[in-house]
Amino acid sequence: MPAAYPLPENISPAVVSNTASLLRIIALGLISAAAIASRLFAVVNFESIIHEFDPWFNYRATRVLASQGFYAFWNWFDPTAWYPLGRVVGGTIYPGLMATSGVIYNILHAVNLPVDIRNVCVLLAPGFSALTAWATYMFTRELKDDSAGLLAAAFIGIVPGYISRSVAGSYDNEAIAIFLLMFTFFCWIKALKQGSAFFGAVAAVFYFYMVAAWGGYVFITNMIPLHALVLLLMGRYSSRLYVAYSTWYSIGTLASMQVPFVGFQPVRTSEHMAALGVFGLLQIVAFAQLVRSHISSKQFQELLLASVVATGILGFSAIVALTYKGWIAPWTGRFYSLWDTGYAKKYIPIIASVSEHQPTAWPSFFMDLHFLIFLFPAGVVLCFRSLRDEHIFVIIYAVMASYFAGVMVRLMLALTPVVCVASAVALSSLLDAYLDASKPDATEPDESSTQATSTNGSNGASRSASSTASSPTVNPKKARKNKEKEPPAVPGRALGELVSEVASSAAAAVHGSDEPNSKGIFGLDTRLAVLVNTIGMLLFFVVHCTWVTSNAYSSPSVVLASQMQDGSQHIIDDFREAYYWLRQNTAEDAVVMSWWDYGYQIAGMADRPTLVDNNTWNNTHIATVGKAMSSPEEVAYPILRKHDVSYVLIIFGGLIGYSGDDLNKFLWMVRIAQGVWPDEIQEPNYFNKGEYRVDAQASPTMRESLMYKMSYYRFAELFGGQQPVDRVRGQNMPMNGPKLDYVGKWDVSHESRSCLILLMITEEAFTSENWIVRIYAVKGDDILGRDHKTAQGFSEGKKRKRSKPVSRRKNIGIGSV
Amino acid sequence: MRFLRSALLSCLALLATVLAKSSSGDKVLVLLDPSLDKANYSIFFNGLEKRGYDLTFRAPKDASPAVAAYDVPNYAHVILFTPDTKCTSPTNPHPSHARLTRTVAYASDITPQSLVGLLSENTNLLITLSPKQTPLTSLATEFSLIPPPPGTPLVSHHPKREEPATLVPVDVAPSPMLAKGTAPVWFSGAPHALGNSPYLVPILRAPATSFAADSTDDSDAAVIVDAADKAGEGLWAGSQLGLVTGFQTFKNSRVIFAGSVDLFSDAYARKPLPDGIPSGNAQFVRDVAAWVFQENMVLRIDRTAHHRVNETEPPEMYTINDQIVYTAYISAYNPRTSSWKPYDGLTDLQLEFTMLDPHVRTALPPVAGEPGKYEVQFRAPDRHGVFKFVIGWRRKGYSFLHTSTTVPVVPPRHDEYPRFLSAAWPYYAGAISTSVGFFVFSALWLAGDVKGERKNLKNTKSE
Repeated sequence: MPAAYPLPENISPAVVSNTASLLRIIALGLISAAAIASRLFAVVNFESIIHEFDPWFNYRATRVLASQGFYAFWNWFDPTAWYPLGRVVGGTIYPGLMATSGVIYNILHAVNLPVDIRNVCVLLAPGFSALTAWATYMFTRELKDDSAGLLAAAFIGIVPGYISRSVAGSYDNEAIAIFLLMFTFFCWIKALKQGSAFFGAVAAVFYFYMVAAWGGYVFITNMIPLHALVLLLMGRYSSRLYVAYSTWYSIGTLASMQVPFVGFQPVRTSEHMAALGVFGLLQIVAFAQLVRSHISSKQFQELLLASVVATGILGFSAIVALTYKGWIAPWTGRFYSLWDTGYAKKYIPIIASVSEHQPTAWPSFFMDLHFLIFLFPAGVVLCFRSLRDEHIFVIIYAVMASYFAGVMVRLMLALTPVVCVASAVALSSLLDAYLDASKPDATEPDESSTQATSTNGSNGASRSASSTASSPTVNPKKARKNKEKEPPAVPGRALGELVSEVASSAAAAVHGSDEPNSKGIFGLDTRLAVLVNTIGMLLFFVVHCTWVTSNAYSSPSVVLASQMQDGSQHIIDDFREAYYWLRQNTAEDAVVMSWWDYGYQIAGMADRPTLVDNNTWNNTHIATVGKAMSSPEEVAYPILRKHDVSYVLIIFGGLIGYSGDDLNKFLWMVRIAQGVWPDEIQEPNYFNKGEYRVDAQASPTMRESLMYKMSYYRFAELFGGQQPVDRVRGQNMPMNGPKLDYVGKWDVSHESRSCLILLMITEEAFTSENWIVRIYAVKGDDILGRDHKTAQGFSEGKKRKRSKPVSRRKNIGIGSV
Repeated sequence: MRFLRSALLSCLALLATVLAKSSSGDKVLVLLDPSLDKANYSIFFNGLEKRGYDLTFRAPKDASPAVAAYDVPNYAHVILFTPDTKCTSPTNPHPSHARLTRTVAYASDITPQSLVGLLSENTNLLITLSPKQTPLTSLATEFSLIPPPPGTPLVSHHPKREEPATLVPVDVAPSPMLAKGTAPVWFSGAPHALGNSPYLVPILRAPATSFAADSTDDSDAAVIVDAADKAGEGLWAGSQLGLVTGFQTFKNSRVIFAGSVDLFSDAYARKPLPDGIPSGNAQFVRDVAAWVFQENMVLRIDRTAHHRVNETEPPEMYTINDQIVYTAYISAYNPRTSSWKPYDGLTDLQLEFTMLDPHVRTALPPVAGEPGKYEVQFRAPDRHGVFKFVIGWRRKGYSFLHTSTTVPVVPPRHDEYPRFLSAAWPYYAGAISTSVGFFVFSALWLAGDVKGERKNLKNTKSE
């Protein structure tokens, strides 16, 4: 192809291709470095610490794995979680993440690098983000070409939507899952394009890894069958599809069933039925194709079609019947909440109570994806232009992920890769058009394009040929290889021809549309205008990503940072202060009750048994905690004692203005408790005329609740006679709390008693520096067997009413009836 | 010879002091109201001293010796012979209140609250009440005793006798803490009704013919009749009233509320009953003191052990359906030798294996031939979780036995499940037939006939 800046004649094509690949490697290396580096803000700004909530459990589990070995980990029963139910950890987690860290840890120690397991865990996510960039590069290269691949890799490397789940210290399943997701998809595309059982098997192996690593594997489980189904419906059935899908499904499903947590789910639950159904359908279609290729009678073929349809319907109704029979579990609530956003709030408040399960607000799309979000549709449209199998895959992926990302904030993560891929395709097409240095010379036919059309057009050679100088030398080989490989994989000859015809005509159409020589942009000013704009956008994208990463996504949430007036950073370390207090001052088997958000952190940092934690498997147990928190003390006390609770830990942000505190989550506790005890806990009782108030106008039920009392216990004193203000809810608290008199004893005037918060069943054990964490010790039984209200009254010197001997005859009368 | 005898005597005396010590200590503080003469209670006090107790006397308003120093009790037992001592130091420690109650009859270390505090530090109390309203009366309400209105002593006109109606001979009901056949005792003082606390140990009940009234001349008989009409409500009468009532706290410290301090007096101990036989007061108060000072009916769990059948060491965790052996060693205090002896007299001991609720509740019988050892073998429930071995034995008058050991019960390890299941034979057959089929197919394919191969070749050529 004639280029404006022709390659020097004396350089051999091998040198050119080697240089190009070296440049690619360097580019990928730089992208990886950028991806890792931008994720290290958290370590630089704070310290090498595990973030958030779930990672604390993963970290704890990894420590068990590293110290006790894999089998001990597999059989790990954690008696300190979900006290007293305990948790069969080995059977209820996705062990992929811990196993990965464990392997890395062991390798490092084998080569005498004594790295702490914590650092392995902290830096795992940045490390895997580099792999994700590489996998995205491979995936996008299948769609278009190397340059699009490099762009996609660069995007995924620094896009905030992915960084939000993979900063250093964010040691969560998603950290490795996105890499596995992209690589599985790449292998699937590869297997589909080549009809390769090998790549199908590789896809299955990585699918297994994904299943072992993240519950989001269901996305793959449904994406690939959906892709296969759409291909079938489009009449694109081919033996390549059959080989790829059958290999992937059979190996992948059998492998996924080896994960204890998954077990028989792939054949027992509705979520996995689509994959099984498509597998069955493929067998039927394959059989029909086989029969059709051998028999020519038209009537027979019609009969065959009817029987195929009948079998399909029969199979589908069998699945439905099995579902009704209970052999196949129906959809889970989490699944329903994907389709009906109001569902969770109504039926499963525990899912709705998690902030990352809320519907996404539109600014967060821009925040997480920046300019990619408006390049994304363009990329999808470009996929329609060259509608090969893999483009269909990207289109389906884009549609599904866009919907899911709109339903749940959390699923933004699943959308991010496809946005990067599609945007990269769009941007690379744009750059191809505007950077292509060829001149308006339409006479010479493009030799590489003819070559590409002769192949099945399935490996993207045609497009890469026009953009990279190296491809003419590399691709024909590849294409020839493909050609040699292809025929044995195609059983039905007629069908194979049909498929290749369709594919090549599509490829030809694609190619015809972007023949650069006849149509194109040749003016330097136009080019410059567009290119400068594009480069500007890319620069702003980088700036935006860096800013978002450093400001929004790099906070460990265990440690809070605030700005002092002089601009210096002030660290609020109340959580760790409180957890370490627990660790050092309480008995080792002292059970700590808190809302489930803090369960993993207490287990990880304080090393104490907890009632509930972030693995929300037992709704009733959580509702029990909710009930204890939202009930008056007399009701809560038996619950606390029954569960052997020694300490109650609550988060209170009213003093410092920390809005994620327990009082703001309180209504969820009420709702969850109400779901189990609708007679005892009613949400409207916690409102005053429809308003959620905590001040003097708080409803009596609210004021009596244990959570309210523990939150505001002695809060008013702190203001020394000033008006106490709750800074989170912006409400003025009642003034008349107990006052401190000069001998340091409590004096309680009778008037103030009504508004005074008195705790009967617990006593304050610890309050952190900024009052964020308050810990209360639960009192033991009174030694005289009195209830705590009476005992408290006695120790405060209250006089009791005289009582009379009770009537005995009446009692006997009742007793005998 | 004389030397030998004196040596023997001193040995015996030493033995006597060593003998009959309480299980919780032998230092006794006696708060004696100034209006009472120590000599009038010499039989009781001397009896205590003879049994090895070290008595310290103090008037209630004396500041020293203090009952407790830095919240640690100085004495193992406190006797409050202060039935009429009126005021106490302010319960509300506000200075202005303190000024009001300058004329205290108790030192500041004796308040109802501090007495309850002593109990939680395992000090035993012997408290005497009187018909007057005193701080101790209001303290009694905390122990679920219901005192009658002030100034209403126990009155009984039966049996006919020379003594006033407020001096009542009371039959002693047999009880494990009292010597058998204790003669009736003289009693004059305040009764109390018993509330519904399960910790109460009734020791001496009022006679059926007695009642609480403010005079002996039946002027308010109408009130009593009226109360009796109202199904007994507010009726301070009959054998439901207690005269001497024990209370064993949650922490096994013991309290006696006696309605009369005269019960302990020499005069009543020496005074013959109306039918001429000597009164049982001396014996009765000795036994009551022995109980409250934790000489009698004191049990403890020395240790517990648990392990799987055919093992000896306790495992870190049990597997569901394990056979578990649980052993408890219980001993009782023997005041004669002042030592703990293995005790196998409990026949109603139970063991619970609980997680929220008892999953297993079984008898824990004594092992024949091994005194003090109680053992049971049971199957762990088919349910994993954190379980507790719980013994909770509460019988009136006896020390409460309570122990709780936490053990996790876990599901089987992955390699502890049965390897082959008969129910899985279809799957085994499937796997085997597939393997065999694959083998046969491969063999046929590889060693297939040449004809087919030729056909194949033709096919490829035609392509």
